[in-house]
Amino acid sequence: MRLLENLWGRKPSRKSDKKKKGSSNYPYAVTRVRAMKSKLLPKETYPRLLNMGIDEITRFIQESEYKNDVDELAMKYSGGDLAEHALNRNLALTCDKLVRITTGELNYLVVAYLKRHDIWNIKTLLRGKIYNAPVEEILESLIAAGEFTYTSMSELAAKATYKEIVEALKDTEYYPLLQKFDGTNLAYIENELDKMYYTGLFEAIGKPKSKDRKLFVKVVKLEIDVKNLINLFRLKKAGITQLDEIMLLMIEGGLELNPEKLAPLSYDDFVNELQRTQYWNAISGVVGPDMTSLTTLESKLTRYYLESTTILSHVSPITVVPILDYIIHKNNEATNLRIIFRGKETGLSDELIKDQLVII
Amino acid sequence: MVEGLFLDAAGMKALGAAIAISVTGYASAIAEKDIGTATIGAMAENEGLFGKGLILTVIPETIVIFGLVVALLINQ
Repeated sequence: MRLLENLWGRKPSRKSDKKKKGSSNYPYAVTRVRAMKSKLLPKETYPRLLNMGIDEITRFIQESEYKNDVDELAMKYSGGDLAEHALNRNLALTCDKLVRITTGELNYLVVAYLKRHDIWNIKTLLRGKIYNAPVEEILESLIAAGEFTYTSMSELAAKATYKEIVEALKDTEYYPLLQKFDGTNLAYIENELDKMYYTGLFEAIGKPKSKDRKLFVKVVKLEIDVKNLINLFRLKKAGITQLDEIMLLMIEGGLELNPEKLAPLSYDDFVNELQRTQYWNAISGVVGPDMTSLTTLESKLTRYYLESTTILSHVSPITVVPILDYIIHKNNEATNLRIIFRGKETGLSDELIKDQLVII
Repeated sequence: MVEGLFLDAAGMKALGAAIAISVTGYASAIAEKDIGTATIGAMAENEGLFGKGLILTVIPETIVIFGLVVALLINQ
């Protein structure tokens, strides 16, 4: 039954989840994850990768932690596609491993956090079908790191229209929202899916009483703040000042920022207001009236988020935070590698690629 | 040695020694449990950590050694 539920991503009832505490294996899981984090690519690797061609990068990846994934997929794909599939496969296996090595409360929190990959996959499937992307291309972007397995998602990707996909997902918690999808309101559905994920996450945590859940909430709230801040900068730069329009794109439940207060402000007032927040030190060097590109700002904010999580994981070593820290850093590594080889593939300059990377 | 529910001096010494050994043994066990499982976790990813892990795992053993010394001193 559990296998079937995993296959179709059916959520166990919330009541039983909340009761699921059991005994957690913090020392085992946290130390193992720390050992896993030590195997992530060091920051000195990225300048070397920037000097390589795609084939060299693929070979480099093949000699690193991604060896098994590249070997497994080398028969089916080549070049950038091989690297992309290998990264996604590795990410999926890593997340699966995290679920397997944790127990009790720790497992519950990790599973709730990893549901973000389900949201990502649903968005990818819908987007792919709307734009008539080939099944191969859709599969390339799927990451089977949440509750949906790769097999079940491949079946979904093979469906002819988005309506069939929505129907196939009728047993999941996303169905009521997906029913509102009419083929034209993809942006709205994507935003709502994101909001649904965070609402679900806060619901799963409940009122945080234990130290572990409080720290978990803090990391999630920090992430929401960073996401909202990036979106606010984008909207301000695009000249959008209408509160309703902005609030549609904001996620509720941030740590320090109040989007409702920041949304109606002019760009200068908005920047002044930010000076009172913890994020100012991270972005003060790049924010200004002459700021043309938001790329540097976004990578600075992401870097701040990554660093803050690492600091939190050092302050509270035997909690869920080191595991979240690892997941976030692993995702960042995959994103960095993807940026490098996709950038190389499209012939972007090294400088431009370097600006997009978040190197810790 | 034992008269009714009361212990004489030798009985009290023996009881003190027993408490010293058992409590420190229990404390060592709790500490070693966590360090041991953490070591296994680290070793699952990197076998080279066996030596360091072993040393760290036995460090709490000193607690029970102190208990043993105290127990011996009590019985002197």
